Amino acid sequence: MTTAPMPRVINREATMSTLTEILTSATSKRRFIQLAGLLLALFLAYKFLYPLFFDAYVGKANAPLSYNSSRELTAIEFEALARELSEEARLEKAAAVVSEDQDPFARQVKTEILMNTPSVVSAVEPKHIEYFREAGIRQYKGPETCLRCHQTITVNHGNGELKTVNTLEDIVNSVHFKFQTSAGGFSTYGYDGRQVNAGPHKIPVGKIDRACGIPGSFTWTGWAALVESRPEAAGGEVEVRSEGCGQCHIGGNYQPATEKMMPIGDVPDSAKEGIDCLICHSRTYDMNKRYVIKDDKGTRWNQDRSMRAALTVAEIRNDNCLRCHQHNMGGDIYAHNVAATQLGDENQRLLHHGAKRGNPFSPQDDVHAAAGIQCTDCHVPEGHKIPRGRMGVDLVANDLPDVDVTCASCHSEAPHNNSEDKALLNGHIARMACETCHIKELEHNSVVLRDWVHPTWNAEEGVWEYTDIYQSGEPGKGFKFLWFNGNGTFLANALGNNPEGTGDYNPLMNQMVTIDDPEALAKIRAAAEKLKETYPEIDVDAYVKKATDPLSQLTPEMLAKRREMIDQNLKAAMNDGDSRIYPFKIFNAMMYEDMGNQGPFGAMILPFDYATYYESGDPKAAVQVAISDPIVKRMYQQVFKLYMMDEFMYYFGVMDGWKPNYPLVNGELVNVEPHWMRQMGTLMVNHGIQGKGRECKECHDPNGIMDFAALAYSPERVAELQDLEGLKQSGSSVGSSSQASATPSNP
Amino acid sequence: MNKHYALNPGTRSGPRTREVWPPWVPHWTLVLMLAVVLMLGLGSPLVGLGAWVVPGPDTAAVAAAEQHDCLRCHGMATMAYRDPETGELVNLSLDKNELAYSVHGKLACSQCHEGGYDQYPHPAELSAAELNCVGCHEDHPENTDRLDFSVISQEYKKSVHATSDDPEAADFNCHSCHDPHVFRASLLGRKIPDIVAYDNQICLSCHEKLRDPLSSSHAWLPNRDKHWAAVRCLDCHTTLNDSDRPVSHEILSAEQSQVNCVNCHSQGQGLLARLYQYRSREDIEKQGFFTKAVYNQAYVVGMSRNPLIDWLALIIIGLTVLVLAGHGYGRYRAYQSLREQQAGTATEGDKS
Repeated sequence: MTTAPMPRVINREATMSTLTEILTSATSKRRFIQLAGLLLALFLAYKFLYPLFFDAYVGKANAPLSYNSSRELTAIEFEALARELSEEARLEKAAAVVSEDQDPFARQVKTEILMNTPSVVSAVEPKHIEYFREAGIRQYKGPETCLRCHQTITVNHGNGELKTVNTLEDIVNSVHFKFQTSAGGFSTYGYDGRQVNAGPHKIPVGKIDRACGIPGSFTWTGWAALVESRPEAAGGEVEVRSEGCGQCHIGGNYQPATEKMMPIGDVPDSAKEGIDCLICHSRTYDMNKRYVIKDDKGTRWNQDRSMRAALTVAEIRNDNCLRCHQHNMGGDIYAHNVAATQLGDENQRLLHHGAKRGNPFSPQDDVHAAAGIQCTDCHVPEGHKIPRGRMGVDLVANDLPDVDVTCASCHSEAPHNNSEDKALLNGHIARMACETCHIKELEHNSVVLRDWVHPTWNAEEGVWEYTDIYQSGEPGKGFKFLWFNGNGTFLANALGNNPEGTGDYNPLMNQMVTIDDPEALAKIRAAAEKLKETYPEIDVDAYVKKATDPLSQLTPEMLAKRREMIDQNLKAAMNDGDSRIYPFKIFNAMMYEDMGNQGPFGAMILPFDYATYYESGDPKAAVQVAISDPIVKRMYQQVFKLYMMDEFMYYFGVMDGWKPNYPLVNGELVNVEPHWMRQMGTLMVNHGIQGKGRECKECHDPNGIMDFAALAYSPERVAELQDLEGLKQSGSSVGSSSQASATPSNP
Repeated sequence: MNKHYALNPGTRSGPRTREVWPPWVPHWTLVLMLAVVLMLGLGSPLVGLGAWVVPGPDTAAVAAAEQHDCLRCHGMATMAYRDPETGELVNLSLDKNELAYSVHGKLACSQCHEGGYDQYPHPAELSAAELNCVGCHEDHPENTDRLDFSVISQEYKKSVHATSDDPEAADFNCHSCHDPHVFRASLLGRKIPDIVAYDNQICLSCHEKLRDPLSSSHAWLPNRDKHWAAVRCLDCHTTLNDSDRPVSHEILSAEQSQVNCVNCHSQGQGLLARLYQYRSREDIEKQGFFTKAVYNQAYVVGMSRNPLIDWLALIIIGLTVLVLAGHGYGRYRAYQSLREQQAGTATEGDKS
């Protein structure tokens, strides 16, 4: 028995030797080398040829980047700058400490003492002065400088889990860079009833490929434009201005990071070197360096890569985020938008009139900002991924769709402590969002209706601009109250339902498709009449009708289809979860649409080329230029159709998929018509919070701002809700036993 | 002082820990008793005994109207405030459905919350008044031995909640455990674990420190968490008695409570008579005694509900042991005879 294993060993040796023989035989060697060669060739092709092919396919360029502000300092210059920054920081700190002292001279003396007190110096002196001094860094070269020390970062995943990640990968894969995501987890539903990207076929969604009426263009076609303006003040002289999505978006240089939309491939290193770390991380980033520059590869956005900005890198504060985000909150012409006061050393950025959301975050207009609360206190970052909250109405990409950002996380569900009515006020939270009372109005210039098809000459800026035919920040006009459970549609319509309602709640056939406020109607008519002065062909009645009743643009069949689709596809998403009443900024735009890709909820919007639009005031020409962009042409080809456009269209409610009929034939637009979007978009507003909310009477009154009937309350309930006095008397039936009526009588 | 007080434990998906009874509850007794005495004296047709026991059609309509009015505010699920003195949440919200299904669901609110609530805000002095069950329930015509509130009252007086000098127990009253707006007569038909969870939630809403995973309380209990999931706090923390009453209201202090495994883990019918009695009775009626004994929901080590099964099991085990032993013995014998045979052959071979 003990000899039994022996033959097996011999067998194995025999096999081994056969294998060795096979491997060492001449033919095998050749095959082996061939295979290795093939793999190497594939790898090299992927690494070097694919990027070239991709750039050629989408018609975009990448090149090594240089920025003038990145300059090497001499040792003396460095020390002088270091001293200046240190003094600035120390002075600020010392001045704050002694601000209570009465005598100016005493203040001055104390300030000087404090400024040279070692603990103050070490506490407030910008940390990177010492870091850079020691590391011998005398020039800020972009990400490579940061990554010398910050190769990896430790990410805290909220649940206490810590993970060390590669910093560059972390940022490159965040939506701040990518501009889109293919990940699921969206609370967005297609009009076909499917949750976006919940299925196996995931498509990139986010701002990168999303046409919308507020920017008026795609990021692909509107990334960085130089516009020749002729302002009145310059007497007809040309002033070059900067415009485009890239002014705020750190990803990409000559174009957004389109490479990231593909399942394979990566953005080239040159694009990664273009990441603007300092716009978010520096205390002293100079927005005057943010303007469009042109080189032999195309146009791109300049950056502040000065040592001054680099040396003042510190923890992120509100001013960092607001350099970009005040643009879509308070708006460009909001009084306290700091970035809008630094438009550029040259090629100054064009300001956008008409605020998108009109809910500013600033100490002047938001109670949290006034209390020194930082953006990142609520939007707690996990590395470079920053949560937007679970409640998504739009398709703007969300890095952390499962992370909550809520009022209740700090305030609990019983936030009112200051009022006699605190229990009643807290009671409202079951049915109402905090924002409903605590955002009383939006910026007055919040745009509700924007007409891109009939531009207006802006003499002061010297450009043709879109015409905002209606702006309002008032409840019921600039924003509406809607039921919302956290779900939204593919075209940004808040979904929800009245939990105790009549079952008739259908905002896609009501609130989102009608403007019936008499005052609003009058203003819209006046704007249309004014527009008629420039565009005599406008039929004012028809114009107002379409703008205020966009469903009138649909054929009866399309309208019937729409009703059916809402009923069959969206009811589940509407009835999901707990709905509450939220305020939603409403918005619609008239743009050119590709009518070949039309459904009951809209047609494919076509982008404008900014320079053409602003300079010529010819929107059709601007569309022609924009859609001549190679990537839009690709969009109208089979590969794109199969890769994403079909899926995009299903979500869009166009069940036949994408019709790849390129709408520009022989220089003429074909099957392209101007239309208002078929329903208003509803944008969540969560900032501009007032400490004191609304008075009861503002809503609980027959003339109140809350349209209870439209929110699908029964007539009896509407009567109750509008009867504040009856409520205070708590119905006459209590105490007096004879009356059995459940409905309090209306006075 | 307010008590943590779960309004509807076990009926919602997650534990609700923030409910606290309003401060005006503890002082209601006097006002209500006074009111009842006054109304009885005045012979009020509405609040007379007959009226509140089974509301007639008129009174039912009045009650519904009144409830509707009150629930306009108190029906808001988040109606609550933070008590400035304690920082605790005080819940003023009523669940419309819970109320409707509760034992008091058909009553007009003013039946208990007398006068003055027809205005908002309610007068502060009303809120300071106390309301108590026994005042109404003493002469309840449906009182049976099991529902005898005077017995309950006597038991309660001996309870640790009544006798403790702990300041936290200062304002303890019926409502601290039994939310009159939610309370149902029994949870018959529900699963035992649900009944246990419901019951224990009442205790845990005040004794919340027990939930702390680091708490060493009850560490003497083997499988502590399993016990908590399967046994009511009351099963150990009340006196054992032989009466037919479902449970005593004499809650024992930790020191006095049952720390005796054998009370349950034996043929003594401790648990059967308490926690599982409704269930057993119901099931036995439906399924017959034997089936019930076989398919019972709770298996308690050491406690069989049926001596016959115990005997059967013993016999089966005994028989198995016997068979095993017999088999072993047989193998042993066979081996022995084989050895003998081999030894025999070997000697024969040697010889040859």
